[in-house]
Amino acid sequence: MNDRESMLAALRNGLCGTTAPPLPPVLPSPELPGKDCAERFATMLRQVGGACEQVRDLAAAARRVAELLAAAEVRSLAVSDAPELAGVLEALPPTIRVYGPESDRTTLLAADCGLSTAQVGIAETGSLVLVAADERHRLCSLLPPRHLVLLPCSRLCASLGAALAALSSPDGRPRSPTVTFVTGPSRTADIELELVIGVHGPRHLHVLLIELP
Amino acid sequence: MSTKVALFATCLADQFWPEVATATVKVLERAGCTVTFDARQTCCGQPAFNSGYRDDAKAVARHWLDVFAGAEHVVMPSGSCAAMVHRYEQLFADEPGQLARAHELIGRTHELAGFLVRVLGVTDLGARFPGKVAFHDSCHGLRELGQREEPRALLRQVTGLELVEFTNGATCCGFGGTFAVKFPELSTAMADHRLAGTAGLAIDAITAVDASCLMQLRGRLQRTGSNLRVLHLAEILAS
Amino acid sequence: MTHLDAEHFDQNARAALQDATLRQALRRATDLFAERRARAIGAVEDWEALREQARAIKAHTLARLDHYLTQFADQAERAGVKVHWAKDAAAACRIVAQIAADHDCHRLVKAKSMATEEIGLNAALARADKEPIETDLGEWIIQLAGETPSHIIVPAIHKTRQAIGALFVDQLGIPPTTEPAVLADHARQRLRAHFAQADLGISGVNFGVAETGTILILENEGNARMTTTLPRVHIAVMGIEKVIPRFADLEVFLRLLPRSGTGQHLTTYQSLLTGPSPQDGPRELHVVLLDNGRSRIVADEAMRSTLACIRCGACLNACPVYQQIGGHAYGSVYPGPIGAILSPQLDGHAGATTLPFASSLCGACKDVCPVKIDIPSLLLELRHRAVLSPPPHQRRRPFLERLGFRLWAFCHRGPRRQALLMFLTRLLLRVPGVRRLGPAGAWTATRELPAPPRLPFRRRPEARR
Repeated sequence: MNDRESMLAALRNGLCGTTAPPLPPVLPSPELPGKDCAERFATMLRQVGGACEQVRDLAAAARRVAELLAAAEVRSLAVSDAPELAGVLEALPPTIRVYGPESDRTTLLAADCGLSTAQVGIAETGSLVLVAADERHRLCSLLPPRHLVLLPCSRLCASLGAALAALSSPDGRPRSPTVTFVTGPSRTADIELELVIGVHGPRHLHVLLIELP
Repeated sequence: MSTKVALFATCLADQFWPEVATATVKVLERAGCTVTFDARQTCCGQPAFNSGYRDDAKAVARHWLDVFAGAEHVVMPSGSCAAMVHRYEQLFADEPGQLARAHELIGRTHELAGFLVRVLGVTDLGARFPGKVAFHDSCHGLRELGQREEPRALLRQVTGLELVEFTNGATCCGFGGTFAVKFPELSTAMADHRLAGTAGLAIDAITAVDASCLMQLRGRLQRTGSNLRVLHLAEILAS
Repeated sequence: MTHLDAEHFDQNARAALQDATLRQALRRATDLFAERRARAIGAVEDWEALREQARAIKAHTLARLDHYLTQFADQAERAGVKVHWAKDAAAACRIVAQIAADHDCHRLVKAKSMATEEIGLNAALARADKEPIETDLGEWIIQLAGETPSHIIVPAIHKTRQAIGALFVDQLGIPPTTEPAVLADHARQRLRAHFAQADLGISGVNFGVAETGTILILENEGNARMTTTLPRVHIAVMGIEKVIPRFADLEVFLRLLPRSGTGQHLTTYQSLLTGPSPQDGPRELHVVLLDNGRSRIVADEAMRSTLACIRCGACLNACPVYQQIGGHAYGSVYPGPIGAILSPQLDGHAGATTLPFASSLCGACKDVCPVKIDIPSLLLELRHRAVLSPPPHQRRRPFLERLGFRLWAFCHRGPRRQALLMFLTRLLLRVPGVRRLGPAGAWTATRELPAPPRLPFRRRPEARR
């Protein structure tokens, strides 16, 4: 008997004759106060130390990104492969070096800022859902000290449950081998439970909610 | 027709704190009950059960069931002993005969404050007690019997009494039965923390529904030179 | 880096009580935790419904764990995960070391995981000269100090900022500081150098979804993301009880765990991994399924709910015993109330005859448990077993205690015997020296013992009714 079979046999023998209590149906997601997902998303994100602002369209987002990068004196930018970013990158001054997702680890670790979109935003918690199969943003969202995110309002959903449902393909399998939920900047409270922002992941998380598609 | 109550005095009150049992009788009579005391009673079995000696606990619990079989209500000045009787279900899980007898009595077994408020629907017993009193939630009364409000409702009706809360919530006094003598330093540290929850309250007394918690707190207060009074709820309600 | 001996909980506790700094740190931390948790769950209307749902899901899953574990393994393999089966700690360590050797990995990084603490993975890998660098700030502090964690989610909860500052000065040569933000920044810089080079990442697993073969890892710092993204191989060590049936069940657990643990609505990061992702992450994902005594607990109906634990740490924070002495005194990987029921049942049976007694049975743990584990009842069951049939090589309960309870029970089966016992007890207690002996002595060392009244209640006139 191999290890798998012997471990499963131990469980089966131990449970022999056990009647399992029923598996309860999945609970419905809670009703959230307030209708406006964008407003709730921004409030919740700010509560955990993230920044959030609304812009009208992609062109406005591009202008705002340039402003934010200038203000933070960003010289190197790690970007994902999201097509929405093309226009934004064109509007950047040539002094900013841009590194794509195929760049090596050392370069990305040294970048000043990361730029990506997110596939879903969760109003209930102010969370971003990064679906790696749809966009190569695993590293640019993690390694630089800043992460700047463009999120169309149309991608907002009300609850955690709705977001989880959106992650499954029709056959019930996850759409992507890697999915990351991000709720605010990196934090730790490992020293005397005192909150410190930005220990391994980004110190600054800035979301631009885009009103028009 | 008055409610018939069989008093279970509990070993601690019977042997070390008889005033508590006496006060319990007085309060129950004031509430219109007819109280009987069966002198065959001993203990609910909790010390052995909580220490893992289930056979010994069973022997004593069987005697308890013998004594109180057929009682209309069994009332005791202790949340912990009442909770122990509720635990007879776990104790006699493998003895259907005893389990059936236990089931019969569990629903009719009450801690004093719970009995007064839940069963009799009484909160005002005409008691007077001048002073500021902090109520200590005994863990079993609070968590196993779910009685947070009942004792407070009774205390609020006591003339002259100002009810205040410990500043450190509902934390354990550190008694825990044999725990208190197995780990005396730890138990004492817990008592000190509990008592720190009265600092700055300027209270005149601490009260609770369990003589065991009170023995712990009183023992520690006396040793540390405090003259803060420690009284059982029954004693206040009987005053 | 060894644990204290769980068999000597009493001595460990006594020593901890002497440590004023430790107790100050614990009081501060556990008070803060309680406050944050209360605030977080206060905002959830259906908290009790969530707890009940989680309890029911776990009760069902554990009673059919053979089925769900098979499904999990099959689905994970279908997604490209290499699944390994480890019946005990030694097997799990061997598997991890073998994977590291097979892939020629030499620079190991690790995210916080209780399962890897449980199997002593770091020590095992150190013997192969491959000790991983801990990357969670708290775990890294513990590793630098050569200690063991004292809390499930805040490993260095027992250390003050002054102690950590001194440790960093000593070990890293930084300029003196006690500022958490500065200390964390040093950690960030140092650990980035390790991440840049790492070729193997090791993590634990918070939940494994049977339906999809997905593993879920929760964290706040980002080190688990880095550990599971940057190295070319990722190994996740997962206790077999971490399986939940459906992907949609994650919602209830994600709403319960962070609120119970740290008082957050959601931890900063959740990584949901369904197979490797060679394009932008590890080429290989290995999941090591760990038994180490769990199948025995699953088979034990009275104790099965022990395995429902989702390791939030709320019972530690709420426990008045833990609040006084911290985690090290338990002498086992899992401290606090959950440790007192879990450790004695895992392989090794740590503290089987001591830890279940390390509780006043106050029930605060049961109140805060997000999956409604009735810890006091389980402690009582383990106490019974410690008396009845202690595991081999563990101390039996003292003979005098056994005899004492036998005598006590004999005397409480009838009023006359009890009267005789109490008469003798009361008489004895009047003899001055007796109050300093045995259990009475343990009491009177720090507390007054009431003088027995002249007459017990039963012999007073008001008892004749």
